[in-house]
Amino acid sequence: MKKIINAPESFVDEFVEGILLAHPDLVKTPGDDLRVLARADAPRQGHVGIVTGGGSGHLPLFKGYVGTGLCSAVAIGNVFSSPSSDQIFEATKAVDGGAGVLYLYGNYGGDVLNFDLAADLAELEDISTRTVLGRDDVASQPRERKLDRRGVAGIIFAYKAAGAAAERGDSLDEVAAITEDVIEHTATMGIGLAPTILPTTGRPSFELEEGEMEIGIGIHGEPGSRRGPLETADEIADHVVEALVADLDLKSGARVAVMVNGLGATPLEELYVLYRRTHQILAESGIEIAKNYVGEYATSLEMAGASISLLELNDERLALLEAPAKSPFFQEG
Amino acid sequence: MEAEQLNDRIRGSLAVLIDSADELRDLDQALGDGDLGITISAGSAAVIAALEQLPAEATPVDIARASAKAFANANPSTMAALVAGALLAGSRVWADVADVTIADAQAFAAAAATSIAQRGKTQIGDKTILDGLAAVADALVDQTDADEALDAAITAAAAAVENTKHLQSRRGRASWLQERSIGMADPGATALQRFVESWKIAGVDVK
Repeated sequence: MKKIINAPESFVDEFVEGILLAHPDLVKTPGDDLRVLARADAPRQGHVGIVTGGGSGHLPLFKGYVGTGLCSAVAIGNVFSSPSSDQIFEATKAVDGGAGVLYLYGNYGGDVLNFDLAADLAELEDISTRTVLGRDDVASQPRERKLDRRGVAGIIFAYKAAGAAAERGDSLDEVAAITEDVIEHTATMGIGLAPTILPTTGRPSFELEEGEMEIGIGIHGEPGSRRGPLETADEIADHVVEALVADLDLKSGARVAVMVNGLGATPLEELYVLYRRTHQILAESGIEIAKNYVGEYATSLEMAGASISLLELNDERLALLEAPAKSPFFQEG
Repeated sequence: MEAEQLNDRIRGSLAVLIDSADELRDLDQALGDGDLGITISAGSAAVIAALEQLPAEATPVDIARASAKAFANANPSTMAALVAGALLAGSRVWADVADVTIADAQAFAAAAATSIAQRGKTQIGDKTILDGLAAVADALVDQTDADEALDAAITAAAAAVENTKHLQSRRGRASWLQERSIGMADPGATALQRFVESWKIAGVDVK
């Protein structure tokens, strides 16, 4: 294992320290715990707070989306491990401005348990919470079992919309409804080419033969729906986009936002090759791309591979995506 | 049972329960990932420390909530989160309780069982702590004598554990063992049995 680290056990705290030192104008730690980060101006009175969280190892996911027009705080755990309920509760208290707090995170068992427990603790201190789960990975469950799907890169659309709604002063119920609506219209699928290596174990998270790819992979290296020979970029895009269009039941005349996301070790050039074909397929189908994102938005350390997400747009969802936002890793407007 | 006595009894019981940590660790190593021993020992020690800090005027609700927070944070794990959520759910039915009756204990156990079923997405028969907790809640229904109620709870918890040996694990890491899990007692249900037994031992010691 070759990694630029000091010691596996200090990896998480040290990258957080780096973020704080680099961006003191945008983010802060509300208490002593480096695993809890809030936007610099939190709490904002009268505005809904948005708390997200999950394991480390996914930057810019989770920690990278705390800022203006985005999430208000985050609690992170060790690499690929849930934060504790106490850390989530600390994040909650740090951003409660009297209008309640939305919990928005991916649909993973440990995260759900700890966020639910944090919601119990918040209730004891009269902080209202609502929960919306990212569950956009079409490969993890068929549409009829969509409530059991994993949350992957598509949650960034939900962060953006929820953050915009909270920023303009919507109520907790309104922010939750908007977020749920965005997730309902989001679909993602990924492919993996090479595993991540966990700093703590020094071992690859899965193994693939040379010339193989995992189709429908999760962001922790969880197995996908199938494994097959490595395809060309165009073949990959064809299969993935076809699955997403079918899942969202998109017809000619539909408008979408597209995200081509790198999983950590795939160069931007390759992501643009994927975007090229994605754009062609959608154009051929009469589907308009009103907004696009190409880059690393949700990674798994140095996993090689990519995911493609589509969000079906209407005027409201597009306006929420286009509202201003700023974090150390994400900027709009 | 008034608040001060409740506080003493919980601390006494958990001090006894810690002695079962090795047994629970071994059971959990066979079926899960082996962290139940540390969840129980670290969690119990944290609850004892938290309850010692509570002011004299703390109510039964305060005691339950302080226990939940301490248990959750001592060694965060799925079991710790489920148990803490269950304690908070139980505390909600004690909102106005100053003197805990058998009926209050029954309501607490029933609310705790409902919480674990919902949070853990589990049912009776899935071979989890719920099997024991639901049996204890049932055993306390319509009991009027404290000693008899406790004995009934212990008998029910032990019977539930015995029954889990015949079951295949359907939740958590143990579910991956499939039929190989048959024949082994569920560690979570066993932890509950040991807790109820500890409650009696602590009471006998007090007397």
